[in-house]
Amino acid sequence: MFLQQLVNALWLGSVYALFALGYTLVFGVLDILNLAHGAVFMWGAFFGLMAVTRLDMPIWAALLVAMLGSGVLGIVLDRVAFRPLRKRNAPQLAAIISSIGASTILVSLAQGAFGAQVSRFPLDALPSQVFITGPVRVTLIQIIVFVASVVLMIALLLFMRRSRSGKAMRAVAYSGRISALLGINVDRIIVTTFFVSSALAGASGVFLGLAFSAISPFMGAPIELKGLAVIILGGLGNVPGAILAGFLLAATEVFGVAYVSSDFRDAIAFTVLILVLLFRPSGILGTAVERRA
Amino acid sequence: MKPRRFALLLLVVLSLLAAACAPPATQAPADQPTVQEPAAEPTAESAAEPAAQSSGLSGEVVVGCAHALSGPIAIYGEPIRNGIMLAAKQINDQKLLGDATLSIVCEDTAGDKAQAINAFQVLINQDKVVAILGPTLSNSAFAADPVAQEAKIPVLGSSNTAAGITDMGDYVFRDSLPESDVIPNTILVTKDKLGYSKVAVMYGNDDQFTKSGYDVFAEALASSGTEVVATETFAKGDTDFSAQLTKIAALEPEALIVSALAEEAANIMIQARQLGLDVPIIGGNGFNSPKLAEIAGPAAEGAISGAAWNIGNPAPENTAFVEAYRAEYGGDPDQFAAQAYTAAWLMATAIKNAGSADPAAIRDALAAIKDFPSPLGTYSFDENRNPVHTPVVLIVKDGQFQVFE
Amino acid sequence: MPPFLNDLWLVYRSVFEFALIGSALGLSMYVVLRTGLLSLASAGFMAIGAYVGALLTIHLHVPLLVSVLAGALAAGGIGLLLGLPVLRLSGVYLAIATIGFGEVVRVFMLNIDSVAGRTITGGALGLNNIPRKTETWHLVLFVAVLIYLFIRIDRSRTGRAFDAIRQDHHVAASMGIDVVRYRNLAFLLSALIAGAAGVFSAHLTYFVSPNEYGFNGAVRILTFAILGGYLTWLGPIVGAFLLTFLPELLRFLGPYRPIVNGVVLILAIIYLPRGLVDPRFWRKTLRRRSPPPPAAPLETSG
Repeated sequence: MFLQQLVNALWLGSVYALFALGYTLVFGVLDILNLAHGAVFMWGAFFGLMAVTRLDMPIWAALLVAMLGSGVLGIVLDRVAFRPLRKRNAPQLAAIISSIGASTILVSLAQGAFGAQVSRFPLDALPSQVFITGPVRVTLIQIIVFVASVVLMIALLLFMRRSRSGKAMRAVAYSGRISALLGINVDRIIVTTFFVSSALAGASGVFLGLAFSAISPFMGAPIELKGLAVIILGGLGNVPGAILAGFLLAATEVFGVAYVSSDFRDAIAFTVLILVLLFRPSGILGTAVERRA
Repeated sequence: MKPRRFALLLLVVLSLLAAACAPPATQAPADQPTVQEPAAEPTAESAAEPAAQSSGLSGEVVVGCAHALSGPIAIYGEPIRNGIMLAAKQINDQKLLGDATLSIVCEDTAGDKAQAINAFQVLINQDKVVAILGPTLSNSAFAADPVAQEAKIPVLGSSNTAAGITDMGDYVFRDSLPESDVIPNTILVTKDKLGYSKVAVMYGNDDQFTKSGYDVFAEALASSGTEVVATETFAKGDTDFSAQLTKIAALEPEALIVSALAEEAANIMIQARQLGLDVPIIGGNGFNSPKLAEIAGPAAEGAISGAAWNIGNPAPENTAFVEAYRAEYGGDPDQFAAQAYTAAWLMATAIKNAGSADPAAIRDALAAIKDFPSPLGTYSFDENRNPVHTPVVLIVKDGQFQVFE
Repeated sequence: MPPFLNDLWLVYRSVFEFALIGSALGLSMYVVLRTGLLSLASAGFMAIGAYVGALLTIHLHVPLLVSVLAGALAAGGIGLLLGLPVLRLSGVYLAIATIGFGEVVRVFMLNIDSVAGRTITGGALGLNNIPRKTETWHLVLFVAVLIYLFIRIDRSRTGRAFDAIRQDHHVAASMGIDVVRYRNLAFLLSALIAGAAGVFSAHLTYFVSPNEYGFNGAVRILTFAILGGYLTWLGPIVGAFLLTFLPELLRFLGPYRPIVNGVVLILAIIYLPRGLVDPRFWRKTLRRRSPPPPAAPLETSG
């Protein structure tokens, strides 16, 4: 049983990590809590679902459509909800409000378009293969999501470290004002950030839509809270930190269920989170730079 | 300022988009449907007696509907509203209330107890309704039904299953069989046929509906002498149940009892099968939705549901309802829709029998309803305004619910 | 009262009551924001107050005032215990730790449903049949007392210390202000207020259940304070009234209601990023119309 639970923890961890990748990016670069990320994630799942069911696309093409669609949605989100606040030099807390407003709108639009009912990808979108090795069972989609989260993480890290835009992003994350002085087009970098972050959200929407048959306008809310915990636990905008935190949270949850009690799963997970923060007040891999809320 | 104008423009575009997407059905009350399609109304002879020679009824009789139409609970609120609107349309087409028309005013509760109270206040004090259908959740009912009780407006819930709902007062009714009327029988029947002696139980412990279901299951299992090897819980919105199911699989139960709503149950079934847990899966009212087989696909085969309503019930009231629902909304109804549809018919019949739009008279007529032919079966209220009709045990075969025998 | 006014009062009385409860909760968030901390613990404190108060009423039939005091003290006690370790955190790290606290409280409420056959919290079933003891005037009085309290604080050493800490806690500390003590004081006040509000709300709606106080509840309270503005005590009250009344006044929109609600939220925060009650903005706007008053020194925060 232990081995299977370990697989379960790795699996759930890759789910959290996948969701957190894009989430932590906006958080790190712009230092805002974007509570509309879950809504973009949900739209990503629907973009993918529509591509498969209405346009008869294969699943890999649907994934691209979802990433593109969510990426554009992210840019729109920035234009409507965040850019006007930046222009007015608004306090960071203001972004929470406009992201809540944007999230409400996006969820209601989805409910209007697709109804509140839960839907799923067609059964044949992906073979429902189960691999059995000894005491452990793994499904194809679990392997795909695990690999995808690792690949996307590496791609994102390379992008941040090697590419011009990525380097500029890190500069903007450090200080928008200094970046502007250095001749970086801050506005363009922010648009890029939103695009990349939202495209990642869209990708995780499709992957998790395939993994769990629970696509609905409200699918973003439960994972948003977990995602928030993960990106903060990982350290502000720290991509490897978020991945690590995702696996840590998942392990706490899975082994909490396995060896303590499923009743107290979330209480155990959040208690561990608070304790970790008391010892690492800036997150697991966060640097001790103090920022204001 | 440029960005400002741009933001404004986008908001306007978004709002227009919203207007284009949003379902128009919720907007207007379904009074006097303009298109009359007698062919699409097969209930004419079955669901009710011919048009009433109503005495004191004329004009519009306004009945309120307070349900969750936005937010996550809308997943249940939508079929409920559909059921009510369908019934209202048929009731008016058949002129059940004689010269009077039944008008339904829907207010959104968003699944929130405060909004449920506010919706009740609006319906009672502003729309001057004579009765209320709703609310969706038992939680909301505990908060809002006292408002109706105080105002002496009859309130009929079609999805409140928690214990103690009708204890709130003599104006509070429900037509949803509580789990305590459904589950003991389900355990008895399935234990007899499947012969299990040790089971594992899974339920959502942060939801009133699934927790109530669990309490009844636990009692029924204990009194039937069944050993429970594990009891595992999950939270609303969970999608990954593999940790709980792995733990359960290791204990090798002979059946898995699940108190969950169809959408969660479907994912539990998929994951249980993937983890090699191939025992029968048994649940209560929550399973009884076409979504179960639609989402779980082959994993739903053999799932057993104790339920208040059987979609395949051949009674004319039921076939007429199912056909009309499919014609109107293009999909199969679930139990929420069936119970809401029945609730609207019960209320209209009470109004007709009372022969007046006086809430007190309607209350008395509603309480007096006996042996009413409905999609749920032959329906009566007991002395505590709870439903009396025969529950069923269903099993999924070839993606369809059938009676478990 | 003319009949139509009477009807209007009947329709909106409960909305008004919820707005008053919301005002108190917004103020409980405001008092911590005033010391430069972002805490989302108010919903958890409210839950503790609501359950303690409701259980006292149901089992011991104590008067409402006793319930309120007990609920506030219980929340305050937990607040003190929680504050000592977590107030070392700052920014979003404190925010997530306090969200975590709220989740822990919620899970405990769900799981101590009964002990040895006796119902405690009732778990997900909640507690029902709580007598309605809260009157509208209780809430008006409660909020009035809070306003009085905050006016007093504004004019006191404590208020000046709060403001100094918010603007820069390093500078405040170097001026000899005991930052830790004042932040704990603010956190304690927040817990007391939210606990009392919880008791009032439990006796208003006949029913409490754990899920009302989760993450969504916490975020909702936060929006009261931020949308209303957290530079003055008036802000959270205005925010609570707007956000409680708006969805009710938009009922005529049917399915478009949440969308318009979201649009209003975005527009409001874009045009008034420091909240609806932003003294600087209104002073400037009013100055354009009337002869200019002497320029007042303004704090810079954000």
